[in-house]
Amino acid sequence: MTNIRVRSQESGVRRDELIRCEGVWKIYNEGRPHEVQALADVSLEIKKGSFTILNGPSGSGKTTLLALLGTMDRPSRGGIFMKGKDITGFSDTALSTLRRDSIGFVFQNFNLIPRLSAWENVSTPLIPAGVSEKGRRDRAMVLLEKLGLADRASHAPEELSGGEQQRVAIARALINNPEIIILDEPTSNIDAEATDILIDILKNLKSDSKTLLVSTHDQVLRPHADTVFELKRGRLAGITHD
Amino acid sequence: MKHLNILYAAAGNVVRHKLRSVVVILCLVAVLFPFLSAIAILEGVKTQSRISVSEGADIYVTMDMFGRNGVIPIEMAEVMKQIPGVTKAVPRAIGRIYIGGKLAVLLGITDDEKPSSLNFINGSLPKAGEIVIGRGLAEHLNLEVGEELNIGTRVVAFIENEPYIIKKMYHVSGIFDAQSGIWASNLVLMSIDDAVSVFEMEDFATDIGLYVRPGYEAAVSKGLQKMNPFFRIQTKGLVRTYIERGFNMKGGIFAALYVLAFALTIPAILVTSGFGLSGRRKEIGILKATGWQTHEVLEMVFFENIMLALISAPSALVLSFVWIKLFNAPFIAPLFIPGAGSIPPFPVPSRFMPLPFVFSFFFALLLTMTGSIYSTWRAAIVSPAEAMK
Ligand SMILES: Nc1ncnc2c1ncn2[C@@H]1O[C@H](COP(=O)(O)OP(=O)(O)OP(=O)(O)O)[C@@H](O)[C@H]1O
Ligand SMILES: [Mg+2]
Repeated sequence: MTNIRVRSQESGVRRDELIRCEGVWKIYNEGRPHEVQALADVSLEIKKGSFTILNGPSGSGKTTLLALLGTMDRPSRGGIFMKGKDITGFSDTALSTLRRDSIGFVFQNFNLIPRLSAWENVSTPLIPAGVSEKGRRDRAMVLLEKLGLADRASHAPEELSGGEQQRVAIARALINNPEIIILDEPTSNIDAEATDILIDILKNLKSDSKTLLVSTHDQVLRPHADTVFELKRGRLAGITHD
Repeated sequence: MKHLNILYAAAGNVVRHKLRSVVVILCLVAVLFPFLSAIAILEGVKTQSRISVSEGADIYVTMDMFGRNGVIPIEMAEVMKQIPGVTKAVPRAIGRIYIGGKLAVLLGITDDEKPSSLNFINGSLPKAGEIVIGRGLAEHLNLEVGEELNIGTRVVAFIENEPYIIKKMYHVSGIFDAQSGIWASNLVLMSIDDAVSVFEMEDFATDIGLYVRPGYEAAVSKGLQKMNPFFRIQTKGLVRTYIERGFNMKGGIFAALYVLAFALTIPAILVTSGFGLSGRRKEIGILKATGWQTHEVLEMVFFENIMLALISAPSALVLSFVWIKLFNAPFIAPLFIPGAGSIPPFPVPSRFMPLPFVFSFFFALLLTMTGSIYSTWRAAIVSPAEAMK
């Protein structure tokens, strides 16, 4: 029911619609033992330049939904639309291109490449783009400096704190200057001080008119968000607009 | 630039995944080393025998003896010299004898037959009553130049149950040196007259070698046949064909064994390149998640494999070179040279050629590609979320 309301409310403002999903299901191990229904009939819309929060308890399907919206995984059923185009039928190549050009993803566990320095991790997306080593380092340094990590640029992930690793992951997500930035539970692995830094970063990104999509199970980021989607056991349970 | 970037990234990966790289390289070297060594030794032996064939006479003549090679009167040499095209006719006496319990080849030659392979002698060529012996034999008998050797030929009688053997003392005038090759290792060289008397052939030789002017081989053969239909004629071309055929057969057997070993190694390589695969899979997922294309990931892994092959093939070559040239091919030589013990007493002939090396590189590449490309592709085409799990 709520889904229908969302769509009917905003069907007239398609121009600022960036991501939309319709009746999306995700079932892990479908048809096999240990089948898990992680998402059930989720429909929502994310506007260009908005700061959207996905809230829900552990296991409610936040990571799963972010992965679908961020083209990291394909839904079992339903449609996902980027700027009106259904991407569920996209080829592997087209999805890679979409990820490269438009999406920056910061994973819950950061997923940095071990034994690769911070700046190298940040600049891996530029390797196939043909950017020279110097160019890559320069661009990575600009971001690391902005995120207060310039002095950690040559450290490998193993030598960095959780908060620092997170900022390296954020820098990597930003290196291709994508319009959508997705962060999966960015507040869960860091302390209060690092959280303050994170909030500053998110505010800056928002003022750069990036579209932010963030999952969380606490309330710290709530005051800064435009829209909050509540997830419960794989279903959309509520929407709050500011 | 893009491909160069990916190449550098691949190099970085080879270094970053040190353990995996080292294990794969060791495996590849273990496969390539015996291959390169065997080819080098086979080529070396082949070359040496080719040289000795080309140095020998152009035509060898023996007498037919009920279908076998029989002895030929030495005086025939003088007659054969008259055939147009023949430049030299040299009788040889060749046979096997036991010296100190070791089988040796005894060769008697005339003064005017001195092929260049006989240049590698410490000492001088044998005159009457003198011999030049091979290194293997010299080591076995603990003999040096200037010493004497008793050569017994046969038992002529038993006196009080003790065999009475005809023996003759020979003066060692020279020893073949290290460069003289495997054929000279257990050779005893003496003058034809001495050899004839050892073999008790009186006025006969084992064969007569004819040196002919280029292009006269066929005509001389015909002339010989006309002179005496009982002559058995072997031309150099024929000998060469026999030798090549022998080597090709040996090479073929080796190739078959190698293919078998190769087939057995593939699973090992598969396992080792799959070594650290879960970490690998995750990294591939991360690259895909940050916008790499599947073909770019594959290109990187391809470059990695090229680098591993580029390290492995020369390493195997160097190892094989050191093993053969410096250590004289222990344990490998006996597989290809009959009579060579696990530590060969003569310098093992070898010849390193570019083609087997190039081959070994592609071998290595093929192996690593087989081991990695499918798993890489699988990790790259699934969704990044799945690969990163
Ligand atoms: N790859 C997978 N295979 C099988 N089941 C999975 C897989 N990934 C997630 N699940 C299941 O799907 C459900 C939703 O998981 P998800 O990770 O999306 O939750 P979450 O809201 O992100 O939780 P958390 O706050 O703990 O991160 C859970 O029950 C989880 O066990
Ligand atoms: Mg999660």
